Amino acid sequence: MITKIHHVGIVVRSADEALKFYRDALGLPVTADKVVEDQGVRGVLLQIGNSEIELIEPTRTDTGVYRFLESRGEGMHHICFETDDVEAELEAAKQKGIQVIDEKPRRGLAGMICFLHPKSNHGVLVEFAQPLPEGH
Amino acid sequence: MSIGATHIDHIVIRSSDSAATAAHFSRLLGAPIRRTMTRPGTGAHLEFMKFGEVILEFAGPPQPSEGEPRAELAGFVLCVRDIHAAVSRLRDRGYPVGDPKPAVQPGALIATVRGGTHGVPFAIMQYGAIPQSPANEEPEA
Repeated sequence: MITKIHHVGIVVRSADEALKFYRDALGLPVTADKVVEDQGVRGVLLQIGNSEIELIEPTRTDTGVYRFLESRGEGMHHICFETDDVEAELEAAKQKGIQVIDEKPRRGLAGMICFLHPKSNHGVLVEFAQPLPEGH
Repeated sequence: MSIGATHIDHIVIRSSDSAATAAHFSRLLGAPIRRTMTRPGTGAHLEFMKFGEVILEFAGPPQPSEGEPRAELAGFVLCVRDIHAAVSRLRDRGYPVGDPKPAVQPGALIATVRGGTHGVPFAIMQYGAIPQSPANEEPEA
């Protein structure tokens, strides 16, 4: 079951530059700041109420995030919905005919995650996440 | 210093056919569409879902465009405790923020940040900033 909007993902050229707005000007606390090597990104999560904002900075040029940045510039990249069972949510999406990017949930910054293909969602990149008990 | 943001009020998904996109997300997520409305002035067709404290707004033209619906994430709005103080603090830091104006939501004021948000259309709003008489109140999204 979808329980809430976990975060919105924003692709930025420099997370440090973006933090000047989201952390320093807005005053949002950083809850995670990690480089995910296999994804070629640095992800920074900031808490806002019961949700988060994720800043995504590409660390390599051979990634989808880098290509997004080059083709569209900085901007909103995806929306992540929290679920209490990411495997069930992914399977349910497949049963509804949704094309998926991740056939199986994998470890991500928000917990166990999977992405659905934007082609199946009118152009919107959708992520499902089941947070881990230990947090980020 | 914080601007006193409490939560994300709403996230906007702009679509060439907001009714179709809202129906798609309702089916995908197993969540109901809580409200539909026409935006005064522009005639934009809006549909709303709600996840806890966050509203998901689907915004589209009065009449859907032909062809397959095309949608994109189009910005978000944070709630603040005191919009005038928040605007002042952002301006002090050099961000170009418009003056607070009445929002579509009764009694709410909204102010947009015009630059420096790294490609994200961004605004802050405060509910209950304008006193409302009961006769003017509308159901929340």
